[in-house]
Amino acid sequence: MNARLWWHLAWRNLGRNRRRSMITAAGLAVGYFSVVAMVGWFNGLIGDMITNGTAILTGQLQVHAARYLPDRTVYETMGGADPAVVTRLLNRVTQDPAVSAAAPRVYGGGLVSSGGATAAGVFLGVDPEREPRVSRLLQSLVRGVAPVPGARQILLGSEMARILGVEPGAEVVVVAPAVDGSMGNDLFTVSGVFRSGLADLDRSFALLPIDALRNLMAMAPGQVHEIAVALPDPWQAPNAASRLAQTLAGVDGPVALQPWTELRPELVEYAQLSSTFQWILLVIVFGMAIFGVANTMLMATYERRHEFALLLALGTSPRGIVGSVLYEAMALGAIGLAVGVAVTLPVLVWWHNAPPDLTPLFGDFTMIGVLVRLTLRVEYPWGTMVQAAVALFTTAAFAALYPAWRAARVAPADTLAGR
Amino acid sequence: MTARLRALLAQGLALLAASPLAAQTPREIIDRVDQLLRGQSSRGTITMEVVTEHWSRRMEMRIWSLGTEYALIRITAPAKDAGTATLKAGSEIWNYLPHVDRTIKLPSSLMGASWMGSHFTNDDLVKESRMIDDYDIAMGYDGPRDGVPVWEFVLTPKPEAAVVWGKIEEQIRKADLMPVWARFYDDQGKLARTMTSSDYRVMGGRLVPTRTLIRPADKPNEHTAIVYRELEFNVALDRSFFSLRRLQSTPGR
Repeated sequence: MNARLWWHLAWRNLGRNRRRSMITAAGLAVGYFSVVAMVGWFNGLIGDMITNGTAILTGQLQVHAARYLPDRTVYETMGGADPAVVTRLLNRVTQDPAVSAAAPRVYGGGLVSSGGATAAGVFLGVDPEREPRVSRLLQSLVRGVAPVPGARQILLGSEMARILGVEPGAEVVVVAPAVDGSMGNDLFTVSGVFRSGLADLDRSFALLPIDALRNLMAMAPGQVHEIAVALPDPWQAPNAASRLAQTLAGVDGPVALQPWTELRPELVEYAQLSSTFQWILLVIVFGMAIFGVANTMLMATYERRHEFALLLALGTSPRGIVGSVLYEAMALGAIGLAVGVAVTLPVLVWWHNAPPDLTPLFGDFTMIGVLVRLTLRVEYPWGTMVQAAVALFTTAAFAALYPAWRAARVAPADTLAGR
Repeated sequence: MTARLRALLAQGLALLAASPLAAQTPREIIDRVDQLLRGQSSRGTITMEVVTEHWSRRMEMRIWSLGTEYALIRITAPAKDAGTATLKAGSEIWNYLPHVDRTIKLPSSLMGASWMGSHFTNDDLVKESRMIDDYDIAMGYDGPRDGVPVWEFVLTPKPEAAVVWGKIEEQIRKADLMPVWARFYDDQGKLARTMTSSDYRVMGGRLVPTRTLIRPADKPNEHTAIVYRELEFNVALDRSFFSLRRLQSTPGR
């Protein structure tokens, strides 16, 4: 008999016990769905972590004066008396094809005081127009508004505002050691309060218009400590960094570029964990499926041992029997895969575009310093979909090997005689 | 260290120092030096010069002190900082900022931060306890150095003491109990800073080192120097002098 006929037989055999076939196929389909959905969800979670870990404050790439890191001393600046230098740097950065926006920043440290309460904090001087395209702090307002360029206004983290007991409109004293050794101090108005969800930021960060902070710290009008850069695709950051290192050379003094993969290496490690996890999941799920399929095929072949005996007695080769059982298992796999894909694809599209929010069930949590909002958002795991399909077929075929071997070794005379 | 700095910033004491007694324990000697440089109360004028890698500043200040608990320091020059004042009352530090006419209380988290941009910390101002309370004191050397008879003491913090340093070494001149230098080591036993006393002169009726230089070990090109211009001991001051109102008032005696 030719292969086509064996295929046909195999297919028909599946219909003999439809319920059993469907249950087994459903098992394979669920396995396929589990692997693909889990990996997609895990990728989504890691994508969110990278986005949250970089977009709240860091940006996906940072430019500093060459010696600014790791000490972050206020004296290591880019630019100088002439603001045009920083403008030129910003223009060069934003011209890179991978870059969507860039924002200049000044850092300081000092005290914010109101009445009898004083809090120590990190002052971040930002360009209120550019900053929202790079980080989310200015969009995370819970009260009030963002500080206005040029104004002596300050945006406080929610916890700092609570410690100081101030609301928007309140007047606070801001003290910061200036770069000339004096103690910069001035009155600022609280423009608003932000909440990032990250305890450190909400407790110790305050945002001021960049020019107001420079003024306070006796810095020149064109000096910045950092240019934070936004990249829509975070994985482009290392390449963009090396490109920008060329582009920015010679515009100002020596600069150093740090992609988020250097600034937040723990996030990269976490992403690498994902691929390991993916393989482990694949092995576990389909490892379990093997036994399900094997059990079904063993039952099916045992029930049909008379039929196999007869076929063998009539001169069918044992290879044909083996082929028939294997074909049957693969047909089962095909049904399982078809059902699996039919269920998985729409769910992936749904969870990708309108992910159910799990925060009402589990709340937000912080993992390796990153705020995680738990949703079922998935990123399409195309690679995994193919891998899982191959694994499903392999599983089905592998699980049928032993039943097929048993079927081919049925002793015709004894079996037909009922012994 | 703290007692030492206090002594320098807020000097005082009765010049009972007269005769360095024989057969004293290291603890008794250090205690004596402590008391020598600190009075019941004091009033003076100092110049503080701070040199860092990035800038240098020179500030004139007036200081008042009462015992170990109270001190008031007011900057009189340069003009940009004039009127800025620090009040220490017990373990609290208040700063008055004339530019904004506000007084702010320093949070405890900033005790380790620099005081007025110098190489002294706020903690140096506040630390009350005298060395003999916080440290076990051992004699490290007893004999002449460059022909001058000195003692060198090794101070190690008592297990329960909340102090910054892992070890302090201090050299004292035998003849007049004047401190010569002190070396401060961190927890790992690494030298963190060196304080050198010099220019011993009689001021306010007693011998004091009128110049003190502090140099951080990791930045040998930086230093803070404090020089006494005027100094009086046991002046009429009481606790009410060290008030927040006084902190904000115009400089005066």
